[in-house]
Amino acid sequence: MAPGFTGRFVSPNVPPQPGSRRSGRRKGLIVETSTSPKAAPSFFERNHLLLRRLHSLSGIVPIGVFLIAHLTTNSSLAWGKFGLRGQYPELGVQEGGVAYFQKEVTWISTQIPHLLLIEITLWGAILFHSVLGFMYARTGRSNTSSYGYGANWRYRLQRVSGYIGILFIFYHVATLRWGWTFLVPGGTKWDHHFSASTLASALRGGDNFTAAGVVVSAFYLIGITLLVFHFANGLWTAAITWGLTITAQAQRRWVYVCFALGAGLMAMGWSALIAAVMLNPAQARQVELKMQSKAGEAAAAITAPAASAKAGDPNRPSGQE
Amino acid sequence: MTTAPSAANRAPAQTGRSILVRVLRCDGPGKPSRWEEFKVPVEKSANVISVLQYIAANPVTAQGQPTTPVVWDSGCLEEVCGACTMVINGKVRQSCSCLIDEYAPREGDVMTLEPMSKFPVIRDLWVDRSRMFHNLKRVKAWVPIDGTHNLGAGPREAPGNQEQRYVMSTCMACGCCLEACPQFTLEGDEKKWDEAFLGAHAINQARLFNAHETGKALARERLDQLAGPGGVNDCGNAQNCVKVCPKKIPLTESIAAMGRAVTVHGIKRFFGL
Ligand code: SF4
Ligand code: SF4
Ligand code: FES
Repeated sequence: MAPGFTGRFVSPNVPPQPGSRRSGRRKGLIVETSTSPKAAPSFFERNHLLLRRLHSLSGIVPIGVFLIAHLTTNSSLAWGKFGLRGQYPELGVQEGGVAYFQKEVTWISTQIPHLLLIEITLWGAILFHSVLGFMYARTGRSNTSSYGYGANWRYRLQRVSGYIGILFIFYHVATLRWGWTFLVPGGTKWDHHFSASTLASALRGGDNFTAAGVVVSAFYLIGITLLVFHFANGLWTAAITWGLTITAQAQRRWVYVCFALGAGLMAMGWSALIAAVMLNPAQARQVELKMQSKAGEAAAAITAPAASAKAGDPNRPSGQE
Repeated sequence: MTTAPSAANRAPAQTGRSILVRVLRCDGPGKPSRWEEFKVPVEKSANVISVLQYIAANPVTAQGQPTTPVVWDSGCLEEVCGACTMVINGKVRQSCSCLIDEYAPREGDVMTLEPMSKFPVIRDLWVDRSRMFHNLKRVKAWVPIDGTHNLGAGPREAPGNQEQRYVMSTCMACGCCLEACPQFTLEGDEKKWDEAFLGAHAINQARLFNAHETGKALARERLDQLAGPGGVNDCGNAQNCVKVCPKKIPLTESIAAMGRAVTVHGIKRFFGL
């Protein structure tokens, strides 16, 4: 790079000739040219484009894809009754949701190969996305008070939702996956054999609502809302970053698509949360126990009696009541 | 105080009124800033420049204290040079085209004038926009035609291409897009300019010259610069730039177009093409 032009601004239409007088030092005006040698570019500088684009990509694959799958599964607490297709006809809407959700959870925790590997990939991607996102967010300064345009508000919200969203994800995974029960009011440990009932009591702060449980549920509402926004808005900006939407019309059309996707995910996230919070854990446990004894019978009928012992521990959930 | 004129705001302004002008003053680089107020009688069709001229001729604050004349910068007085850009009632714009009748139509209305915050202040409302020029050099915003011999006629330009480039070429480097950009921040240390965000105007100029049949010769170098630190990836898509650009340049389209070019460039570079 030629030494910086140090005078007042002239005009962009007059091309500066590298090495000519005009790129030299001007007298009497503020900034002086520095010719001190530059430090070697850092890892982040050398791989700037790659890291930026991986940051963008990781938000969609795997994180965004997982978010869609996760909210679909969880919202089955609300619509699961209609997904049972005549199985367990005696169950009501709420109980049917529990049964379907339990089936899904059992499938995920027993049928998906290399589940831990998938989880570690996901955690790694989230860590990568949030650390880089935090670094990038530090380079900007929001100015919605002066320029209160819609897109500028979304810019600001994108950063705020990232900060709060990562705290939520950490709490969510630590409590329900890693079993950090000291962070759960009531100390419920989530158990994949009792997926709905232990989830409900972790959200409520026990079998019945407690004040701390209301706080946890409210945090979930905020966390889910912000993260869905973050994904939908991130999808919108990713199309600009990668250069898929160029014209203003294309960007507007893509807003509609992202908005529709975000609204759909929001509906799923909220319905999952509402369904989980409204659930009576004791009642849900009955459904789960019933399913386990049925599964146990079925297994016993098909294979050797030893299989029935493997069908889970039907006596009590590991959650504390 | 109105923040921006709107059609509804265009009620006939009072004649023979005086307004209060609050100016954020600064005696020189690195010196502290302070607010001063001036009571200014407004003539018909007055603009911010004529108000500043009045203050220069009558450097007495509204409280009756004599003070130094307020310094500002201007050139064309018809919104084509960009020199007079400042922050008026909290939003950046050219002051020469800013009519008092729209902003302060009533007796005693208040207007605030501040220098742009993303550039070092030289004095009062006058800022040093050298970094804009520096950034144009980073993206080599010119057509390379220098040489020792006659290069002959340039390649033909398709009219459609010319038309598309025209609006991009109307940039006057005023700095509005940078002042409003949350990703473009004041950087007093010139050594850091090469890694700091280029800003919408330089990204747009890179697109302009990459679309030029002769300017294309430097396309790769421009894309290298845009792919690196401070390049197009540092844009956060707040899209304020396009809202405040007085020349209505489709800056966000330029940013997206350069995003696409950098994507392709990066893939090619990865495979060593
Ligand atoms: S792009 Fe528009 S706002 Fe930015 S410097 Fe050029 S004319 Fe000014
Ligand atoms: S779109 Fe990019 S360049 Fe324009 S104001 Fe937003 S962050 Fe700045
Ligand atoms: S003086 Fe040239 S734009 Fe205002």
